[in-house]
Amino acid sequence: MTDQLGALTTIFTEFYYWVTVVLMFLIHVGFCMYEVGASRYKHHQHTLMKNTMLIPLVTVTWFFFGWWIYWAFPTGPGIAPSIMNESAALITDESTFSAKWYLANSEFMAINLGDHISGVFWAAFLLFSWTAASIVSGAIIERITTFAFGILAIAIGSCFWVIDAAWGWHFDGWMLKILGYHDAYASGVIHAIAGGFALGVLMVLGPRIGKFSSSGEPRNIGPRNPWLVTVGLFLIYTGFWGFYAACNIPIFDLGPEYGMEGVTYWTATNIYVTPTTLSGITFNFLMSLSGGLLAGYWIAKGDPFWTYSSGLAGVICASAGNDLYHPIQAMIIGMIGVVIAYKLHYWVERKFKIDDAVGAVAVHGYAGFVGLVICGFVLNGYPSSGYSVGAMWDGSTYASINPLGQFLGAIIMFVVLGLIPGYVIAKILSAFGKLRIPREVEIAGLDYEMMEDDKEAEKAVSSSTR
Amino acid sequence: MATVTNWIDHLSAKEVVGAVYPGAGSSETLLVVLGIVLWIGWHVLTGNSESEKLAKQARKRRGGNDYKSNITDW
Repeated sequence: MTDQLGALTTIFTEFYYWVTVVLMFLIHVGFCMYEVGASRYKHHQHTLMKNTMLIPLVTVTWFFFGWWIYWAFPTGPGIAPSIMNESAALITDESTFSAKWYLANSEFMAINLGDHISGVFWAAFLLFSWTAASIVSGAIIERITTFAFGILAIAIGSCFWVIDAAWGWHFDGWMLKILGYHDAYASGVIHAIAGGFALGVLMVLGPRIGKFSSSGEPRNIGPRNPWLVTVGLFLIYTGFWGFYAACNIPIFDLGPEYGMEGVTYWTATNIYVTPTTLSGITFNFLMSLSGGLLAGYWIAKGDPFWTYSSGLAGVICASAGNDLYHPIQAMIIGMIGVVIAYKLHYWVERKFKIDDAVGAVAVHGYAGFVGLVICGFVLNGYPSSGYSVGAMWDGSTYASINPLGQFLGAIIMFVVLGLIPGYVIAKILSAFGKLRIPREVEIAGLDYEMMEDDKEAEKAVSSSTR
Repeated sequence: MATVTNWIDHLSAKEVVGAVYPGAGSSETLLVVLGIVLWIGWHVLTGNSESEKLAKQARKRRGGNDYKSNITDW
């Protein structure tokens, strides 16, 4: 950096993403508190450790291969050509945004005086990865082995969600070009896929002992500590601010980027490099949160657990189009998502005996899916990209946003990259006897021995005289 | 091992080399291999110890409320 304005722009962008990472860390703090609050006393410490250990596991695998996948896979491969090199192969050439620079042994995957952005951008996406894995974590508490969860966390956090991000979030992604897919703040790219993945795992894992009566009626289990759940969800809300900011590019000149001769247009953009403002998405974040809370309080008849979760579901449902919606549209969409997610949760629970301990499939999966579909109608006709806009199925240009493309996109997120991989990996783990803890341990409690040791220590301390 | 031994020389070069970590340009692949071995090894070690621990616990056949006698006062 040799001129001051260029240096300020670069270092501002670097600091911007760094701050989003710190804020997003609170999402994980919130998930840990929430899960422990929702679990029973005899499983607390195991629940906490399970969710905590996804941090290092997803981080190291994100470093080894996850980040590379994001930059290599936008073309499919083989589905639509890249706008950078006009090839439909994996993007591993010498072009500026090639995956080649993000191999784990690249000099840009380390301290590099010539690169102020790669590390913070890598970390922002990594925090999205933790979120995806943590969504799955909550649904399966109290009966999964830590080993199995570690494998599943890596699969969703460092592999499947990043494939969908390359396809539907990357500015060169084939889903933008062929389907006109639009998902600015990740209704599908994070939430629908993680919810679908959790559902796939739950189908194999089965319910907690005692969740269903002999006649098949579901029973309520917890939450044991509503205050921990409350603070946890508030922290997730807080971290979500960072998530929204991290989905934007803070400062960008779109004129030369779009090839507009002589035009200079500095703006913030969304992940697709189309213009939006941090100010505008702040309206929509808060209005969709409010819509979710209002609808959740109404439909759950004031139940705090569902009301808080509904605030989150409201934001998740509106997120696909929150870069363009009017705030009242965002609020109404948030409300619709909550009602559908709540109703679907109980219908699926009764009909298929699915025990989703924290409602993660509903809050993230169903609300995210519905949000994508609604976005297709409300934003029908908007360009999915600022680059050359063409027709659906074209592949070499970008289709406009449309209901069919969004619906197909939702299926790809929830079912193809979420539910199916979750189900298959869980089946494999189950076949090796590695998925579920023994029945006797589940009944006694995963923390039994730790608690017994603590009791012995307490006895020894209280009986000592010096 | 040091990639930079004099910052004035380093920053006044015609083309400043960005990678400044120890072993830049020669050690990255080895470090990645080492990292992957540690990662896989962690799964093997913790997976085995968890299986043993769960099997041992399962043999004791405790009741669903037995943990309550282990709740500490501190």
